[in-house]
Amino acid sequence: MAEQIGRIDFHIHTTVSDGTDTPQEVIGAVRAVGISLFSITDHDAIKAAEIIPPLLDKKDLRFFPGVEFSCKDEAGKYHILGYGYDPQSKEIRAVVDHGHSLRIKKVAARLDFLKTEFGFAFPSQELDRLFALDNPGKPHIGNLMVQYGFAKTKEEAIDRYINKIHFKSEYVRPEEAIGGILAAGGIPILAHPFYGSGNELILGEEMDDRLSRLMGFGLQGLEAFYSGFSDKLRNLALSLAKRHNLYVTAGSDYHGTNKLVRLGDTGLDGTDPYPAELLRFLHNFI
Amino acid sequence: MPNENNGQAVVIQLVGRIDSANAAQAEQTIGQQLPGDSTVCVVLDADKLDYISSAGLRMVLRVKKAFPKLKVINVNPDVYEILEMTGFTEMMTVEKAYRVVSVEGCEVIGEGANGKVYRIDGDNVVKTYKNADALGEIQHEREVARLALVLGVPTAISYDVVKVGDSYGSVFELLNAKSFAKILACEPERFDWCVSEYVGMLKKIHGIAVPAGKLPSAKQKVVAKVQRMKDLLPGELGDKLERLAEEIPESDHMIHGDFHTKNIVLAEGEVLVIDMDTLSVGHPIFDLVGMYNAYVGYSEKDPDIVLRFQGYSAETARRFWRDSLAAYLNTENEQIIHEVEAKVRCLSYAGLIDWGVRRQTADEETISLWKSRLTELLPAVDSLDFEAVPAEAADPDELNVEASVDQLQKVIDFVNSHLALVSCPPKAQMQMELAVEEIFVNIAHYAYAPGVGNATVRVEVSGDPVTVTIRFMDRGIPYDPLKKEDPDVKLSAQERKIGGLGIFMTKKIMDDISYEYKDGQNILTLKKQL
Repeated sequence: MAEQIGRIDFHIHTTVSDGTDTPQEVIGAVRAVGISLFSITDHDAIKAAEIIPPLLDKKDLRFFPGVEFSCKDEAGKYHILGYGYDPQSKEIRAVVDHGHSLRIKKVAARLDFLKTEFGFAFPSQELDRLFALDNPGKPHIGNLMVQYGFAKTKEEAIDRYINKIHFKSEYVRPEEAIGGILAAGGIPILAHPFYGSGNELILGEEMDDRLSRLMGFGLQGLEAFYSGFSDKLRNLALSLAKRHNLYVTAGSDYHGTNKLVRLGDTGLDGTDPYPAELLRFLHNFI
Repeated sequence: MPNENNGQAVVIQLVGRIDSANAAQAEQTIGQQLPGDSTVCVVLDADKLDYISSAGLRMVLRVKKAFPKLKVINVNPDVYEILEMTGFTEMMTVEKAYRVVSVEGCEVIGEGANGKVYRIDGDNVVKTYKNADALGEIQHEREVARLALVLGVPTAISYDVVKVGDSYGSVFELLNAKSFAKILACEPERFDWCVSEYVGMLKKIHGIAVPAGKLPSAKQKVVAKVQRMKDLLPGELGDKLERLAEEIPESDHMIHGDFHTKNIVLAEGEVLVIDMDTLSVGHPIFDLVGMYNAYVGYSEKDPDIVLRFQGYSAETARRFWRDSLAAYLNTENEQIIHEVEAKVRCLSYAGLIDWGVRRQTADEETISLWKSRLTELLPAVDSLDFEAVPAEAADPDELNVEASVDQLQKVIDFVNSHLALVSCPPKAQMQMELAVEEIFVNIAHYAYAPGVGNATVRVEVSGDPVTVTIRFMDRGIPYDPLKKEDPDVKLSAQERKIGGLGIFMTKKIMDDISYEYKDGQNILTLKKQL
């Protein structure tokens, strides 16, 4: 079974959010590493779901829509992946728009802070370009600061200046993201389960609580195969999925040259047969 | 472990915190220091790392994927806990940061060829090592000491490894201990007691069968020594000695390897063996050889050597050796003692010559004395084997075996040999066989799982009417089989839960069955009146 399906990667970022490869470039890169089924999951953005399908003419490469919503509620932060939704659906677009507007608000607050606190100001056409991005964020502001000589590197810009502002930022709530994905006919999955929104470490009872809370909203699966997981964490996720009868997915979290994650590195290679929970997920798309 | 920290390894320092705010930057900084060749050993030195978040973990994992020989060292306890919890310690070599201990001005309470033992405070001692690979040696000693303890040898186990200067040490709880060497030196009236306890311990060790592959073979080492030195002997004596050494029967029984009076201590009334790093398996002659050298061989030319090392006179040492050998062989027959001693001395001198020549630790004159002794002895010796008296024979009512299903027949035969003495009715014998099988198989499967260990079976037949008492002892996980609920035998086979029947049957068969956990041992006692 594993051989018939080939390599997969369902967690990829492009220039639509904070990746460095354009969606077009990702198609080439995916082919180059022998992936035959993939999905693109930009932060709070679904543009790739419309860009990719017309570019795939050959049958050797298959694709389904994806997205990664940054969510937060009283209990913590989550990254919720959504797969196989209808990109035209009003419900998913509402979540994307909400996420985007919160992002724009944040960027505006950051730019304001940089200007008042450090006197870093940028020409208005640069700001227009920034706000017109699908997914503007800290890296884009950082690049701008380097361009205008306020910092030597993007990392220095983020570390020394941008991160100095602390404000209570608003997020999409997990039930909103999960609800939107479901309403659009998609499958909501918890990204890198034990790592929260990417920087925490959530294990044991805390993880159980989190999972039952999200399952209450309609969560259907876990990203058990993840480039950043040890064997132990992967096995832990697999057993959680089995216990709660959830789907399992596999993703690298590739960001292009931004982070050193390799495309297709999901920890799945060499697993044969694929776990039943992953096969069940795949049957929705093949 | 050597070669890894020299020029071939690339050492990169991790500093402060690594979390999402700076993981990317840290990765870039590290990336600049990484070598081009992915086969190089990369060492991340976490000495100054205070905290790592999951963003940092992912970075470490990426380095590991690019450089399979990655090692993370000097990891503080908080970071280690994170790495352990997340399974990263299973995927790469992670070495904890060792607590730094200074022994400056500390009382030296022991000194051996390989290092010193310091008293670092009221409750603890630290044993330091001279060798370059102290860490490897410490790990080895901890492992074999743990194995020995599980197999039933009372010993002290170090509970921590610390950094001492440029080297390492292992920390032991301070025992109010006195070595047998000290007792012999200060309390000569306890000489006979020392002999008896010393030999009892030696027999205990030699009575322990070690699971295959756990310890090296003593014979291999001795044969290698003989092969190195045999050409120094005149005529064909060298070949003869090699043949004799090779003909020594193989054995899977434990050998201490350095069994002299400084390594046997009395602590809180209990006799303990220490210095377990030389543990091996083989024929008992290999321990006797070491003993002969410690008491007689080394100091044959210079009696002061034994006084300096053991603290008592060469005369006492010789007497202690002779009496210990007699007690070990369980005989006062001088001829037998003399014959075995001659066999032992052959290998002793061979070892001394090899040691003296190779390490240049003895002068020409001493070496030629050893050579002439060996040359005198060899023609009359035709075998190095002798009638060993293992511990179980010393106590005919006790059998110590590996707790493994393979040993079941041996246990049943042992029990039956006792029952045969009292003309046990066939039915009762069959029932008891069944009970013994149930209990022993249970111990074999669960007592040490997933590890291995030994079990002792003791059988006593006494009284009128005749009562058989069978006692099972093991040092495995504390477990009281009697606490297990009786199965509902009224249920059909399909409805019944698996297990539990064995102990139930045993209860039915025997008149009395009791359990206690004492001195680290599970003790299950079965009684039946015939």
